[in-house]
Order: sequence, then structure tokens, then C-alpha cells
Amino acid sequence: MQIAILLAIVLLAPLAVYLAGRLRSGARNALAVLVAMVPVVWLALLYGRTAQVDYYRLPFLDLTLSLRLNALGWFFAMAVAAIGLLSILFSVGYMKGKERLNFYYAAMLLVNGSMLGIVLSGDLISLYVFWEIMSWSTYLVISYRGGRAVAAGLKYMVMSIVGSCAMLLAIVSLLVRCGTLEIEALAGAMQGASPGYALFILLMFVIGFGIKNAILPLHTWLPDAHSEAVSPFSAVLSGILVRMGMYGFILIMYGVLGLGLLRRLGSGVVSFGYIFAWIGALTIVIPTFTALLQDDSKRLLAWHGIGQGGYMIVGIAVATPLGIAGGIFHTLNHCIYIALLFLVAGAIEHRTNGERDLNQLGGLAKRMPITFVGGLAGICGLIGVPLTNGFVSKWLIYKTLIAEGYPFLAFAALMGTWGTILSVYKFQHNIFLGQLPERYKHVKEVPFVMQLPILLLTAAILVFGIFPGIPLGAISAIQRSFGLEALQVGAFSVPREVGELNTIIILAAVAGGCLIPYVLFRLCRRSRSLPQTDTYGAGSYAPADRYQYSARFYGRAYEVIEPYVRDRVDAFYCWLVEKSEGGFEAVRHIYTGNVNTYALYILLCLAAVILAGLGWGL
Amino acid sequence: MGAVTMWVVGIIVLPLLAFAVSVLFLGVSRKVTARIQRRYGPPLYQPVIDVVKLLAQQENVSHGVVFDAGVVLALGGSIATVLFIPVGGLHPLATGGDLLVVLYLMLLAPLGLALAAGAAENPNASIGVSRKLILALGYEVPFLLALLAVMVHSETTSLAEIARSQQASVLGWGLFRVPLSALAVCLVLPAMLGLRPFDMATAPQEIASGPLVEFGGKYLALAALQGALHSYIVIALFVDVFLGGGANVLTFLAKVFAVFLAGLLVNAVYPRVRIDQALRFCWKWPALLALLGLVVVMVAGR
Repeated sequence: MQIAILLAIVLLAPLAVYLAGRLRSGARNALAVLVAMVPVVWLALLYGRTAQVDYYRLPFLDLTLSLRLNALGWFFAMAVAAIGLLSILFSVGYMKGKERLNFYYAAMLLVNGSMLGIVLSGDLISLYVFWEIMSWSTYLVISYRGGRAVAAGLKYMVMSIVGSCAMLLAIVSLLVRCGTLEIEALAGAMQGASPGYALFILLMFVIGFGIKNAILPLHTWLPDAHSEAVSPFSAVLSGILVRMGMYGFILIMYGVLGLGLLRRLGSGVVSFGYIFAWIGALTIVIPTFTALLQDDSKRLLAWHGIGQGGYMIVGIAVATPLGIAGGIFHTLNHCIYIALLFLVAGAIEHRTNGERDLNQLGGLAKRMPITFVGGLAGICGLIGVPLTNGFVSKWLIYKTLIAEGYPFLAFAALMGTWGTILSVYKFQHNIFLGQLPERYKHVKEVPFVMQLPILLLTAAILVFGIFPGIPLGAISAIQRSFGLEALQVGAFSVPREVGELNTIIILAAVAGGCLIPYVLFRLCRRSRSLPQTDTYGAGSYAPADRYQYSARFYGRAYEVIEPYVRDRVDAFYCWLVEKSEGGFEAVRHIYTGNVNTYALYILLCLAAVILAGLGWGL
Repeated sequence: MGAVTMWVVGIIVLPLLAFAVSVLFLGVSRKVTARIQRRYGPPLYQPVIDVVKLLAQQENVSHGVVFDAGVVLALGGSIATVLFIPVGGLHPLATGGDLLVVLYLMLLAPLGLALAAGAAENPNASIGVSRKLILALGYEVPFLLALLAVMVHSETTSLAEIARSQQASVLGWGLFRVPLSALAVCLVLPAMLGLRPFDMATAPQEIASGPLVEFGGKYLALAALQGALHSYIVIALFVDVFLGGGANVLTFLAKVFAVFLAGLLVNAVYPRVRIDQALRFCWKWPALLALLGLVVVMVAGR
């Protein structure tokens, strides 16, 4: 019952916030933060509980709609609620003084509410309905800024509809075949299904969820949508909304079909798991190297959002306890660090009149130290530097790929990390390090309400990196709830038979290692402080503000890489759209919009039917 | 009790050994290079004098907290990495991390250096960092492929296991069991060590030592130590993975030294190439060899 009330609250919240905004903007902001906090607290109290509640009966289909709470749902719901809260908090500072704020907050809360609905759905009809609410409300927020954002939103919408159609097809087929859409019941009913039918269902859902999760070649909506949306929403979009696709994959693969059936879908290299893992591997490599070429800070992060999704796919596709745990853990970790990085990019935008071009920024580390630390933690998490959360989940994935004998998949994953290192270091360097342009000399740190989400996410990156046992405990519960073998981990180490990883030993080594140079450093004479501009130029000084030497940071490498990573998929879709628009124009000659013509069609049609009937009769 | 003593000895000895060897490296490299160029060269202990002099320098200048913290993190990261690499029988933190952990711990040092380099507005530093990263992207392709071949071949990711499995005889060395991969890594080893023909990241005559350009006094001392430790780490890793590790500390160090000398000879006679040439080179022959090596291991394993 609790989850029904919770869901009712979060779905009514947008309306309340909108109405409050009509009265006073301060009340609206306070209410928005408050209602975003409700699910965080409530869900935290519900940890480890399971529940199922029927809330409506569809009379004509003889179906019961239900909500349920289980380990997987709780895990994702918690992430949705936390990222939702932090982005609303960030919005309070970021959106100050912008227009149509009532609409903005209401739509943001509606997106959060619908995502909670998805992960708490007990049957596929509810899931589909919430899925559609999410798609539409997302469109509203993406196109909020107008202009290019509307085009980006439309692209998103068209692709979402394609995905929804595929999903609906699978749902209808399941209903006809199994007579129920309740997820628990479906899991039992599907056990007797033939591999061919299971594969059909799986493919339809892979298209549906894959478009949201932006797997290759269904990813093309994402870069535009992420970079054109306002930054707090980009954080939600890339952090958790896109990962609803991952929730769907896990639910269908392990919650409905089950490991036994998945294993029967082909064998060796022509099995579902293997091909799906390769799709994941390509999704890692190509988008990551595309990200390397980007100059727009948010577009760069958006491409990483696609690329990191590949790691999660590889993890769950390999289907070992280690791989599944790694895939789910990486979903959570990605949610944390990518949200952080989008908030950092947003904070920079906020203070530099919306500057996103990495070739125009620089040297802001001293001006915005908190944001700098947030950015550093974010890129370390994204790379997977030891002691950050991304390291542990990536380690689990590498380890399982090597142990299971997939070195080429492992190579794709490891190379993806190297592409990531280059491109996110460019992000950090070109924003925070190097030369500070004259026009940003007086930039100030963002207000506290924007610093707070950045600091909290930074803390989360370190805590989950040093104590991976905390989230991995919740993940083992998910594995157990699906009847899978669970990965048993201590607070900071994996078991001996799995491999050698102990984050507390690594922490001790790094801390001890840094202590030696630190002591040496303090024993020497104290340094005199110099301004950033006072540098050694070897006789040829760079004149201040005359040129931007971080522009095209890896220029020579771009020349080598660029020819290989053109986005031909997007070009193909655009070509398809162009051609089909021509087709629709042709159709318009028939649908003239003139009632007389339609009457004529009806008459002709009737005549044809009658003639056919006569012919049949004879 | 014996195990605990060994552990404590390992923790203390490994970094000391690494420091001693890497400072010796610096001295030897100057001497050997001088001899190849028919100069007399400085004494072997010259680097010790240099580092002590730099540490004791009257005046140090800093560009801020990031500048200070970056240098400390660079050297600290290298020391931490040293603890995870087995030297002969010494491997105190074997349960703390495997080869994958070492690969990623090796990121801390360049990250620290790059942050410190970026703290000042010096184009040379930024260009150096950019070159270093491009070069790393180049040599990591063959290097990772080769390491994967080794990990698949020995069916473990544990560095201790990999080193131990090669100690039966000389023919058990990685060099002979996965020869193509070993050859590929040999080809990119100068790039990993930052030696000519791949020293474009710290090219002294061209970009005033790149990331190191702003360092002086204690900063330069710590950075020089870090650079020397980095050479030691890369070679030690190579010895553990491809040259059979070492039955004891002495044989291990002898192998490390031999590899370093070979690298020096290459360094002394080659001119520097451009960064795009280096990237293309790394992605061509070494990568092909490493790829072939991995395929062979996969096929032979079936």
C-alpha cells in the first residue's frame, strides 16, 4: 500500500508545484525540493522490503494492474529519486530568473514520477503507460528552451515512438499467448516457450529499451537531446532516464525470460548473449572515440553516456554473476558521475553566459574550486581511476570478460577506457586548467544550492569507490531475487576465488604513497606563490589573450581518428526521413483535405466492395 | 609470524629498492649516453647530488594548490604502484590488486603531473600533456592486446600468478610462450618509457620539457624521482610478464637493468619523430603483431 501512496504523491506533485508557482515562486521552489525529497526518504525506509498491490482492474481485458516493490525496482527507484532530488536542487540556482518556470518544475517532477512508476510497475501495461508518460514529459523538458532544442526533442520523440511500437507489439503478443501481463506470472508462463518465440519477444523489447538506452545503431537521438536540454535535466536524462532501458533489459532478460531460456537462444558465437555483448562492445568503442572529437562540453558527455551504456550491456549480456553485478553496478555508478559532470558543465554555463565550447574556456580552477573538484571526481569516476566508483564496476566487467575467455570484448572495454581518458581530460583541462581568458577573470563560484549537489555526488563517487560492498550488497539481493547466483562481496574486497581486488588496501597504498612525498614536500622550504600568468616561456612568451592554445587539444590525433568515426547511422536516418517525407508528399496528393474527394473515395470503395461481393457470390 | 615479517619487509623494502634502482637508472643513463656520444659523462651518483640540491633549494615557486597537490599525487601514485608489482619473491599486496589494478593505478601519476602542469598558463605544458595522452592512446593498443594474450594464456589476471607460472625454465618465459605479444611490447617499450624516438611529450629543445616546464626546486626534484620510478615500474612490469619475473630479488633486478640498457641504446641513436607518426606507428606494426599474438593464443587455447 505504501508504494501506491508514494506513487500517488509523486504523480500529483507536478500539479501542486505548478499551482504553487502561480502564487509565489519561492513557495514553488521549496515545494518542489520537498516533494522531490519525499521518495528519497520513503524509499530508503523501504530498503529490503518487497510488496505487491493491485490498484485497478481492466474489465475488458480481464487484467489486473498492479504495483510491486522488489530488489531491482528499489535499486532503480532509489537512483531515480536521488538524482531527481539533486537536479531539482541544482535547478533552484541554475534556473533562477528564467521564464516558464512553473512549467519547467512541473515537467521535471512529472518525469521523475513517471520513472518511479516504471520501476514500481508490477505488470507490463502499467509499465507501458508510465513509459509513455516518461517519453512525452521528457519531450516537454528537452524542447523547453525552444529553437534547436525543439528539433532535438522531435528527433527524440520520433525514435521513442518507434521503440514504443516494438514494445507494444511484444506486450500484445505476450497477452495473447500467456493470457496475463503480470511480470511474476509471465516469468512462469514463459518457461515453456520455444526459443524462437522468446527471441522474438526479446528482440522487440531490445528495440524498445535499446532506443532509450541508446545502443548502437539506435543512439542518434541522444547527443542532440542531451546537449540541447537544460543542464539539470541533462543530468537526469543521461544519469537515469536513459538507464530505464537498462532496467528494462534486466527485467526482461532475467525477470521474465530467465537465465535458463537465455542460454538456449543459440550457441557459441551465434547466441543472443554473445551478439548482444558485441553490440555493447561496439557501443563502447565508437561513441567513445566520437566523444574524443567533440568540442561542446555537453555533447562530449552525451557521447560518453552512450559509450558507458556499452559497458553495462556487455556486463549483463555475458550473464555471469560477476558480469551481471558489474553491469548493474556500472549503471548506478554512471548515474552518479555523469549526473555530476552534467551539473559541472551546467555550473560553468551558468557563470560564463552559457559557454559550452571547450575551445573558448580555460583556467577556471581557481575561480570555481568546488566545481573543479566535482569535475575532477567526475572524470576520475568516468575513467575508472582506482578509489572511484567507476573503477570497481569496470574491474568486475573486465575480469569477467577475461575469465570467460572473451579477450576481444575485454579489449574493446579497455580501449574504450583509453578513449575516455583522452576525451574527459580534455573536458577537465580545457575548462579548468591552462590559460584563463580575460573575459572570465572575474567569474565567481556558483551559489551554495548548486554546490551542494556537486559535493554530494563527489562524496558518493568516493564512498562507493572505497566501500563498493554497500551498493554491491543491494545488487546481490537483485541477483538472488531472480534466482541467479549472487556475487558475494565484503565491504571492500571481492572473494579470493573471484580475483584480487581490495579497495581498502589500494586506499592504504595510495595514502601511504602520497605521505612520503608530502612529508618531503613539507620539509623543504615553503614556496612563494606566483600568478598563473607568470610562466617560463623559453624566450618566446605567449601574449596574453591573443590565442587559445588548448583549441583542438588533440589535433594530430583527430587527423588519424576522424575518418573512422563519422556518424553514418545518423546520416542514414536523415536520408530515410528525407525520402519518406517525399513519400508522404505523394500520399498528400490522395489525401487532399477536400471533403468531396473523400466522399468520392468512399463511394468508389463501396462500389469495389459491392462488386467484389457480387463476384464472390457468383 | 614469518608471513607477517615478510609482509612488513616487503612494504618497506619495495619502495626503497625502487627508489635506489631508479636513481641509479638516471645516473647510468647519463653515463651510457655520454659514452655513446664519446663524452666522459658525469659520475654515477650525479642524480643524487642533483635531487638533494633541488630539495635544498632556497627558493621554490608555486602556482597554487593544484600545482602542489599534483606533484605529490604523481610521486605518491608511483610509490603505490610499486607496492603492487612483485619483485622476485617480494609481493606484499598480492591480495590487494591484480594486473588490472596495476594498469589503472599507473594512471594516478600522469594524472597528478598533468594537473600540476595545467595549473599555470604555459602553452608548453599543455602541448606536452596533449602529446603524452596521444602517445599513450597509441601504445596502449598493442600493450593491452599483448597483456590480454598473456592473461588468457596463463588463465589468470593475478600478476603474482603470471610471474610464478614462468619460473620453471627459460622456455617458460612469456617471451617464448607468447612471442608475438612480447615483440609487440618491445616495439612500444620506448614509447612507454618516453625514450627517443618517442620522447615528444617532454621534448626539451622543442617545448621546454613539456609538463615539467614550470617545475623548479622541490617540485622538479619530486618530478624527477617520479620520472625515474615510472621507468622502473614499466620495466618491472615487462620483466614480470614477459621475462619470467625473478627467482629472487637479484635476478629480477638484473633483468630490469638489462632491459633498461637496451632502451638506453635505442634512445641514444634515434632522432625524435612527430606525434602523429608515433600514433600511426603504434597502431600499425605493434598493434598488428599483438593482435596476431592474441589470435594465436585463442586458437591454441581451443
